Amino acid sequence: MASTTRRLKRSGLTMPIVTPRFINNAWHRGCDYINMDLEDSVPPHLKDVARNLVRESIPVVNKGGADAVCRINHDLMEADLNAVVWPGLMMVNYPKAEYGHEIERMDAIITRLEAERGIRPGAVEIGANIETAVGVANAYEIVTASPRVRDFGGASGYDMSRDLGVEMFVDFDQFVYGKGEVELAARAAGREPRAAPFTPNITGSVSDPDRAFAEADAARKCGFRIGGGLHPAVVEPQIRGFAPSDDEVSDARWVLQEYRKLTRTGDTWVQIDVSQVDREASPRPMAADSYLGRHRVIDGYEAARAEELLQWQSLCQERDREKAEAMDRVRAAEAAESPS
Amino acid sequence: MSILVRRSNLIVPAVQSRMISRSWMHNADAVTIDLQDGAPTAELAQVRKTLRQSVALAGKGGAQVFVRVNADFIYADSDAAVGPDLAGIVLPGVESADQVAEADSILADLEKIHGAVPRSLEITPSIETAAGVWHIREIITASPRVKQVGIDEAALAASLGITQSSEHDAFVFARGRLCIEATAAGVQPIAVADPMGVQTGHLSHEEMVNIATDSRNLGFKGMVCGHPTWIAPVNSAYTPAESLVEYYTQVREVFAQALAAGTAAAPFAGRMIDVPVDEWAKDVLAMSAACAARDAEKQAALAAAEIYFDPSVPVID
Repeated sequence: MASTTRRLKRSGLTMPIVTPRFINNAWHRGCDYINMDLEDSVPPHLKDVARNLVRESIPVVNKGGADAVCRINHDLMEADLNAVVWPGLMMVNYPKAEYGHEIERMDAIITRLEAERGIRPGAVEIGANIETAVGVANAYEIVTASPRVRDFGGASGYDMSRDLGVEMFVDFDQFVYGKGEVELAARAAGREPRAAPFTPNITGSVSDPDRAFAEADAARKCGFRIGGGLHPAVVEPQIRGFAPSDDEVSDARWVLQEYRKLTRTGDTWVQIDVSQVDREASPRPMAADSYLGRHRVIDGYEAARAEELLQWQSLCQERDREKAEAMDRVRAAEAAESPS
Repeated sequence: MSILVRRSNLIVPAVQSRMISRSWMHNADAVTIDLQDGAPTAELAQVRKTLRQSVALAGKGGAQVFVRVNADFIYADSDAAVGPDLAGIVLPGVESADQVAEADSILADLEKIHGAVPRSLEITPSIETAAGVWHIREIITASPRVKQVGIDEAALAASLGITQSSEHDAFVFARGRLCIEATAAGVQPIAVADPMGVQTGHLSHEEMVNIATDSRNLGFKGMVCGHPTWIAPVNSAYTPAESLVEYYTQVREVFAQALAAGTAAAPFAGRMIDVPVDEWAKDVLAMSAACAARDAEKQAALAAAEIYFDPSVPVID
């Protein structure tokens, strides 16, 4: 059985394992996870060298409290798994997943390696990434092939574009069907979908912080909680975009406060004009012109939404604290080593 | 692997002999002679008498020629068309794998009877109902003759009680499913729209290029053209533009330099170039070469027929 502890993946940097400068500095960036890449950023002639760098890099990327993730090669799955499944690795990303039996095979290999290498059974997650039409067509059999598949997504990006024969950076959502299929499969199987609503990106920029924030914010509001990127400049905006704002947190507390009043009266819902609510009150609803609107219905659904938002916020805070403490420990240790 | 280049497919009604006699002039990659909606049942017998000549005529400019048969007369319509110049049939209203299997066995018989190459004739299923959209995977994998598949959006709209309008797109899901399932099965999805919806008025060359480019960027590999004026813009939209060829040639150079320097990730013009980008660059360049080869093939067909004709100038009926 896979572990039941939920690891947050709001932001993550994918870095070529063969570029030590990137790997050695990534832990400073404050992301939730660091994805050591053996796949698309590693030239074919360096694949052997690359996979053997992962074991020693796990503690390096862990330094700032980030979880260690490794993206392996679809066609070199067994050799890659043997080289990378070591204590401290949280997840193996499997690209171009197309069939359930691939995931079953991975699960068996990881299960053996966990036993051999003293890793808690079920600790290593599988991130299955859909990057081809065949993968979309088989989404449900893939996501249900192993309990290790905790997050599931894709159906967009370069490989998907190539498989469909489309240019990637266009001004409309060319992947809407595939993304929908993958999300539904994940949700039906009780796993976490990795996706984002369409936000046009015709430049193809990987380092635009405003765009990263807007995408993370939109993704969160659509129920998605997983981010990631290639450039350090997008880490902070993603963390910010995935966290509820102070106004949203206050609003959620207000919703629960109003809902508790409601349950005392025996009513099941009430409509409140938030423009009439004191703007100095605490907690208070979002302003009348916010995306939640002026006439707010408070009912069981709305209370459940508010509750999830507050739970998510506390998970985010807890994770941020965890990383800050890890960062402090490293700095203290470094200061002790080189007193100057 | 050779790339099937069938960007534009001009559909002409079987009873319109003037349109058929000019159908080879428009530089379409394919021509489909329509017996389903293009001929009243009473005239079918007459149409079939000259169908083989019509097929030959439509192919004079190097186009691959198809006939859209009547679902109720697959045998008779196909029998009248099979010959050295026929590429295959368009099968309307397909809802199940059985229909494709039946057409497959009919074509196998006719190939034998008419001495055509076994298994050479294609079947292009035309999806026109919700049942067809739902069963698409079984339909397109029912026969190796299926190389392309399309949703006839006007027919689907009619069968679902949809009034198409440019204000909303009723077929986001159906079209997405078609592109994903077809690509997964190694079959080319083609756009059979009027066009991609609903524009009924006259469309400029540029508007058609934009519509066709959007359809290409959904994953389609070609468009059925209801009017000869659509062919030039469709061919152009489905052929990698010179600027793209130039861009991806540079991408390949940048990536090759990165590989030599020991990395497979290189920044280029604000984007990140890695393996899949280089793979896509190869695809675009291969597609560009395949389109050029197809265009040369059509020019050669015209030359062989001793016809002098500039395909860049569309002939308007």
